Amino acid sequence: MAEKKIKIVVAGPYAAGKTQFINTISEIETVKTEARTTKAGEKEKKDHTTVAMDFGRIKIDDEHTLYLFGTPGQARFDFMWDILGKGMVGLVVLVDSTDPVTFHEARRIINFFEARYPAPYVVGANKQDLKGAWSPEDIRTALDLGEEIKVIPLVATDKENVKKVLLELLEEISKYV
Amino acid sequence: MAIAGDLKTFNFVDIFQILLKDRKDGILVIEQDHNNIAVYFKEGDIVYIREVKKVFYIYLDVDFETVLKKEGIDKSELYNVLVARLPKLLSIKEGKFSFTSGFIKYPPDIKSLIPIEKLIMYLARQLTEEEVERKISDLNLVFEKSPNYENIAKKAFLTDHEKKILHSIDGKNKVTDIINITKLDELTVKRTLYGFLACGMIQREKKKERKIGFDLTKNLLNKIISKIKGL
Repeated sequence: MAEKKIKIVVAGPYAAGKTQFINTISEIETVKTEARTTKAGEKEKKDHTTVAMDFGRIKIDDEHTLYLFGTPGQARFDFMWDILGKGMVGLVVLVDSTDPVTFHEARRIINFFEARYPAPYVVGANKQDLKGAWSPEDIRTALDLGEEIKVIPLVATDKENVKKVLLELLEEISKYV
Repeated sequence: MAIAGDLKTFNFVDIFQILLKDRKDGILVIEQDHNNIAVYFKEGDIVYIREVKKVFYIYLDVDFETVLKKEGIDKSELYNVLVARLPKLLSIKEGKFSFTSGFIKYPPDIKSLIPIEKLIMYLARQLTEEEVERKISDLNLVFEKSPNYENIAKKAFLTDHEKKILHSIDGKNKVTDIINITKLDELTVKRTLYGFLACGMIQREKKKERKIGFDLTKNLLNKIISKIKGL
């Protein structure tokens, strides 16, 4: 039987923790398309960055597999958002809670998907364990989000946190099924 | 929880939006190379501004009346002092900011003197093209008026252009439609929408329908939920 792919997109600014989020929950080792970081301002944050997409996989049954696709964070790779947005069932937008600069980029990502692929989505306020993390409520305001959009605190290395974000997204999706 | 960052990338409009949302009390500190400024907020509005040589001086006084006494300011002078000091504050574009919630105790007779909504719109009118792109990054965006937009608009002292833009926001018109309807230039419209969003006068359109790119059934969705729970 041909495998049916169900797609959830994990988007967010550079270094928000998207690859880690997928790694934490995927049943396979995350397939990465990484290149060495060379740009000033980026290489200080991490050595490698996603350039096309990452994906992880969770087998649901003999017929269906859930794929988690991570988008590249930098705006110069935003053509990938269009490719990945098509056919998705839901979107997780991750932000680095300690870095308000990335909130603008997250808002841009939300604006893009809302205008083109308005699937159900949630926001994950990552790195809540770090000093200087903004509260999910203040992040909601900074991103111009209404109360109807869930902003969920998380640490992307924690499996239970990642599960909670996905379950909250699935609950949102269930409202439209 | 922190509210801190750099003014270069998170400007006063963005900061005031956060403080206005929950009508926060507290002190916003701006740290520059040779200057530190403390901005006192009561219920989301600025009530006082002072310059200090060292940041820790700000935290020596937990009572607002003591602050005024040390500065030699009488309560009756607060409005004039604020008006005199605001231009310098609002012209600052660089420096680190941090907001400490609560901390300062205000006497009940300290009231809002200048609505923060008015300051937000004043600052929004000066935003650069790069700054407006942060909020209004897509001409296909749709906004709707907030339930209490009329009250906020009164406090914001809108210009005729801004009133025209507000009038054209109906939960259906895209940014591009608003530009066509009002015949205003794109930057003016984007600046105004940025300010409206920060004031809470408008909000993103609440979508009644969302598109799911797969033929999901309740049964399959329940399977996915069970699987995730079991991981």
